[in-house]
Amino acid sequence: MSAPARPAAPPVRVRPERGRWRATLRLLLSSPPSLFAVLVLLAVVVVALFDEQIAPTGFNEVDVSDRLQPPGAGHWFGTDDLGRDVLSRVVLGAKVSLQVGTVAVGFSLVVGVLAGLLAGFYGRWIDAVLMRLMDVLFAFPAILLAIAVIAVLGPGTTNAMIAIGITYTPVFARVTRAAVLGVREQVFVRASRSVGASDARLLLRHVLPNALPPIIVQTSVSLAFAVLAEAALSFVGLGTQPPAPSWGRMLSEGRGYIDLAWWIAVFPGLAIVVLVLAFNLLGDGLRDVLDPQQRSALEAARHRPGRRRRAEVRR
Amino acid sequence: MRRRTLLSTLALSPVVVAGCTTGEGVDTGDGTGAEAGAGGGFVAAISAQPDQLDPHKTTAYASFQILENVYDTLVVPAEDLSMQPSLATSWTTSPDGLSWTFTLAEGVTFHDGSPFTADSVVFSFKRIIDQQLANASRFATVADVVAQDPTHVVLTLTSPTPNLLSRIGGFKGMAILPAGVDEATLATKAVGTGPFVLDSVSAGEVELTRFDQHWGERATLPGLSFQFITEPAAALTALQSDQVQWTDNVPPQQVEQLAGDDSVELGQVASVDYWYLAMNCAKAPFSDRDVRRAIATALDRQAITEAARFATARPNQTAIPEDSAWYYDYAPFTTDPDAAKALLEGAGVAGPLTMGLMVTSEYPETVTAAQVIASQLEPLGITVQIQTEDFATWLDRQSRGDFDAFLLGWLGNIDPADFYEDQHRTGGANNYQKYSSPVTDDLLDRAAVEPVEAARKALYDQAAKQIVDDVSYVYLYNPDAVQAWAPGLRGYTIRPDKAIDFDEVTLPA
Repeated sequence: MSAPARPAAPPVRVRPERGRWRATLRLLLSSPPSLFAVLVLLAVVVVALFDEQIAPTGFNEVDVSDRLQPPGAGHWFGTDDLGRDVLSRVVLGAKVSLQVGTVAVGFSLVVGVLAGLLAGFYGRWIDAVLMRLMDVLFAFPAILLAIAVIAVLGPGTTNAMIAIGITYTPVFARVTRAAVLGVREQVFVRASRSVGASDARLLLRHVLPNALPPIIVQTSVSLAFAVLAEAALSFVGLGTQPPAPSWGRMLSEGRGYIDLAWWIAVFPGLAIVVLVLAFNLLGDGLRDVLDPQQRSALEAARHRPGRRRRAEVRR
Repeated sequence: MRRRTLLSTLALSPVVVAGCTTGEGVDTGDGTGAEAGAGGGFVAAISAQPDQLDPHKTTAYASFQILENVYDTLVVPAEDLSMQPSLATSWTTSPDGLSWTFTLAEGVTFHDGSPFTADSVVFSFKRIIDQQLANASRFATVADVVAQDPTHVVLTLTSPTPNLLSRIGGFKGMAILPAGVDEATLATKAVGTGPFVLDSVSAGEVELTRFDQHWGERATLPGLSFQFITEPAAALTALQSDQVQWTDNVPPQQVEQLAGDDSVELGQVASVDYWYLAMNCAKAPFSDRDVRRAIATALDRQAITEAARFATARPNQTAIPEDSAWYYDYAPFTTDPDAAKALLEGAGVAGPLTMGLMVTSEYPETVTAAQVIASQLEPLGITVQIQTEDFATWLDRQSRGDFDAFLLGWLGNIDPADFYEDQHRTGGANNYQKYSSPVTDDLLDRAAVEPVEAARKALYDQAAKQIVDDVSYVYLYNPDAVQAWAPGLRGYTIRPDKAIDFDEVTLPA
């Protein structure tokens, strides 16, 4: 969807995209689930940034005599089997979850998008080699592949990031390649090529920006999966190592105490649910506003109150 | 006893494979499963699957839980852990202590119908010695095993060995097999003289049926089965809903609550196990005795014990538990972070120190204890980096000496030599921390050949003192054996060495 030149364009060089992105954001925030997701994510980011100021205690302040205290005034989320403050550990665990999520997905994004761009744009043997490689990675169930990578690298937070990053790379490669295949035959790309634009300029100026919407949606959804994967790896002891706080590990530690002290497992569990839900809702919302067809339906719906927007979109 | 606890399954699987390569048959299931299940009605839930069932090769506790009921040894520890006659009815020792003659029980048959004779003993012991199997070091002082006649076996020794009986009968790792048994099938089949016959082995359970020609009292149950339930909560639920009738997989945090619960009967007895922290004496700065002493001084054993085991263990600064006749009351360390700091500074350890602490989630209490230790060492400027490994990797790193420190326990020790010798003698088979002290070596060597029990204890006391002072191990606690069974189950006794005998069990009506 290239921006058509406006008839009365001012002589100043304006990037038409800027206004478009602003409109997109406005449209996104007008949907309650997306607004909720954005607010939750902002809150989690703030908590993760100021975790040490927010958390009442350190992450491993053991006090065995004060263990298994139920939630109350002294400890809002209670204490765990070693007498550590569960609230503090949930707060401090936010940073781990977000860090692993963003770094891992950042890795997949860079590597996957690059592979997808090259494969889609050049085709032929580059496509064959890169995509078969991605198919091989894709053939393994995500967690299994991550566990295999960790088996080689050894457990730990950094290695969990690498493992998850590798695991989600093929998704980005595929999504990007599919989008690129559609874009590269567009008239404006061929026109640009015909006036002698270099491959790099074609890729970065024309192909990538126009292939971006599905990649953005995939990023948000992958963040949700990456947070889950980190929790799963830590749950089985392969991710974040004790005593560092990780929601997955707290779940696994609290599991044995579920009828004795439900709060050890429930609060980190809720934290995972909320963060993953937020990423998923954001992904949903982004998909709605970034897909041209759905977007026009959305925009139309805004001017027609009383009609069920969702039903309209689905059609 | 060198039973390296529960799940050495992974570590030993190569052994299993090696033992199975020839003549490994498909499990034909001699008796039908239905028969055993219907006749038995008794199911014991254990936490791990045995790695293999060859008593001379396995070191996994899970295997011995089953084999206890299938095999016999020459002598056997009683409930008070004194050695009693079993397949050997009596024995005499030569005046110089270098020759032991065992008189064997008559009329004993193996499960395959062959008779038990002196040849069986010679074959079994020589198999362990000649093939250097798991328990070969228990025969270190045995020069030869000779069948004098069908009912007499003579063990000749290179030096007096006062604890010979516990060495050759402490647990079923020295089980007697029929001479010429098909060794290749022993990993999955068993030919013993015990009260039960190994019937079928599958991924989820092992079934035993009564051996009617058993030489002793016939077992009361017609059969029984072992199921593997890893998750303690699941094992407990299975017990409470009468799917299983016995389990030793009881979550320690629920013991207090279960004591007042009518739906299960709880057995709790001080065990002969101990759990410890070992630091690498061959690696700076832990090679410095004062650094190790500083860490031993900084730790609060009471908190570690409570965190790891709730009320089912007692802190101890030596290995041997309080109830044992060999107990030595020695506790030189009191928790004192300032004194610990002073020791560290005295040792010239300036600045922050990082200590890798190897634990394994197969023994969750090590992971729990490690976190408490990390918080206790933090004020000293020591950053404890907890390394959770799977047990196979853990064991591998241990034997390569690739660690700063680790946490683990030893199970089923009977004689003081079991507690101290292999772990602390220079070059000992289990001295992975590379501790070496001529004083300790001398004391252990003298204690091993000392025939007078009081003098022997005095020597082991001195050795223990030296080991604790040098911090070869930081001893942490002695746990209880905790087992639970269906209310009304009779004829079962919980034992300190956690040997599990089901031959006199009767089910509740």
